[in-house]
Amino acid sequence: MGDTPHILLVDDERSIREPLAQFLTKQGFRVTQAGDAEGARMRLAAYAIDLVILDIMMPGEDGLSLCRHIRGTGEIPVILLTAKTEETDRIVGLEIGADDYVVKPFSPRELAARAKVILRRAAAGGARQHAPASGSFAFAGWVLKSGERALVDREGVSVPLSTGEYNLLHALVTRPRQVLTRDQLLDLTQGREAAAFDRAIDNQVSRLRRKIETDPKNPELIKTVWGGGYTLAAEVTRL
Amino acid sequence: MRFWPRNLSGQMVLLVALALFVAQAINFATFLQDRRQARYDQATGPAVARIVDAVERAKTGRILPSDRDNGRGRVQLLPASPVNPAGEHRSDIETGLRSELHEAGLDAGKIETEVRDFGPGDRRFRRMGQRFADRAARSGGELIIAVEQPGQGWYVLRAPWPRAEAYLVWRLLWQTIVLWVIVLIPVAWAARRIAKPLRTLAAATRDFRPGEAVVPVEEAGPQDVRDVISAFNALALRVTAMLDEKDRMLGAIGHDLRTPLAALRVRIESVDDDDDRNKMADTIDEMNRTLDDILSLARLGRPSEPLTEVDLAALVEAVVDDFLDLGAEVACEESARLRMRLRPSLMRRALRNLIENALKYGSEVEVKLVEAPREVQIMVCDRGPGIPEDRLNDVFEAFTRLESSRNKETGGIGLGLALTRAIVREAGGDVTLANRDGGGLEAVITLPR
Repeated sequence: MGDTPHILLVDDERSIREPLAQFLTKQGFRVTQAGDAEGARMRLAAYAIDLVILDIMMPGEDGLSLCRHIRGTGEIPVILLTAKTEETDRIVGLEIGADDYVVKPFSPRELAARAKVILRRAAAGGARQHAPASGSFAFAGWVLKSGERALVDREGVSVPLSTGEYNLLHALVTRPRQVLTRDQLLDLTQGREAAAFDRAIDNQVSRLRRKIETDPKNPELIKTVWGGGYTLAAEVTRL
Repeated sequence: MRFWPRNLSGQMVLLVALALFVAQAINFATFLQDRRQARYDQATGPAVARIVDAVERAKTGRILPSDRDNGRGRVQLLPASPVNPAGEHRSDIETGLRSELHEAGLDAGKIETEVRDFGPGDRRFRRMGQRFADRAARSGGELIIAVEQPGQGWYVLRAPWPRAEAYLVWRLLWQTIVLWVIVLIPVAWAARRIAKPLRTLAAATRDFRPGEAVVPVEEAGPQDVRDVISAFNALALRVTAMLDEKDRMLGAIGHDLRTPLAALRVRIESVDDDDDRNKMADTIDEMNRTLDDILSLARLGRPSEPLTEVDLAALVEAVVDDFLDLGAEVACEESARLRMRLRPSLMRRALRNLIENALKYGSEVEVKLVEAPREVQIMVCDRGPGIPEDRLNDVFEAFTRLESSRNKETGGIGLGLALTRAIVREAGGDVTLANRDGGGLEAVITLPR
């Protein structure tokens, strides 16, 4: 990766693609545009692309299929632009290995911020999860289903989580037994719908504990690590 | 009527059974009438001739048998009437005899009749021939006719009197039962043949969920019923096709509006004035939310989200926490786990809309979960201007906005409550609004358990 990360922007809508390319260029990215999947494949072959921003709904070969192709050939991270807000579409996008997604109409600033996070993670060296960060995770009798964004208990009853709690638990479950500092957790969980507040992580941890710990005062699952951080002290099985 | 069956086959069977019974009864009444007439004729006709004959003979000085031979068929001349005054008299026969004797030129004094049981126990049986005894036993009774000739005594005659009326009633019942068996079994079969496909059709109509794939109801039964079923199948297909069409159209509208909206959202980044740009972004967000609401409301008839076992207390908490994470102030007491079967994303949406409303128009927003044996209530209370009593119901109508106390500052249309109500009703519950004492509004979602 050079100094300016190279983004391939794939969207059939010129009215979105062109101003977005302009904006991202201003934000310090090098942007190459493609209007369809075929053009995207050509440019992927021709350039050293660092990140693909990909519209799902395109005539001809759609974004999901192209995403699968990119996943199959290399490690280039993908952010999906999706027009639908139905939960099912989010799952599909993440299951085929997209790193993130934004729902149209999105804030270009937020998109740029997420692109930066993903690029920074990629630059940190192999930090990208080889396995897509989706599917179901079983730990201590609980199952976290990333598709439905739901936590299911032993009896099969779904325990709804707030967006913040879900993101936090997802971050912990995908990194079991790793100590995650508040900053890391903020980085991993922010930029979704909720803006991060100072005490947000601590609040969310204590709320999560109330929901999943047998005794929230003596947590066995989400442990506080001395020096400021949290870790998930449980075996996690991917289902 | 408790015994009146409600279903088609039951009613048909009962109706046919009643009709058969009535027909049988009429039939038997006629038959009985004829039989009685015949018995009457049999009893009086020969009796008149014999008595006239006996009287004639008595005039010529022939001795009539008195008590020596009291077999049947012979006329006796007795000094006193053997008729027991307490026995069963037949005044019709008495009157008939009198007029017939009169016609024959014989004016009688008193005429008495009595019907007596006559069975194998009778001492006269032993002296009867076999054939006669059988007949007598079958008839079960005898008629004693006593005609007084003043100065001579009583001319007494005994005739068989068939008493088999009880036996006839049994025969009626037995015949009717046989008829019932012969007729009602095919009727029941035919009625079931009609009713069963109708029941299947009713079940299919009741279970018809416009969103789900249509499984055509099997065409069975008589042609009329088949026609109804095939019409229903065609209707179901048409409804589903129309709903598909609606969904496709709404999807297209959503897509076609979101794309320019997304383009606009990207373009406003070139506006340098932060304040201006943020306001534009807010407007675009608002438009997008409205678009979402319209699409959700339109799609609600065929929800794509499955029913799930959910902890409702955690759901309420999660929604409230989402608001807390955004910096809004919403009070919520922790509640015990409450297992319910519902569509969690939609229910979150319904509750979110109520809380959003409360935050927009009031303050001190409070969310409570109240559990009762048969239902659950989620209350969202605020302190604010409330809603005029007469408009409380109007706000649920889509696109209704109150011009007075609860006016939206950012524009938009009142879809939130309409959507909430549609979601809650789809779940079998309801949502109500009420003004609180001391100002403010209380929105209550009631869900059956």
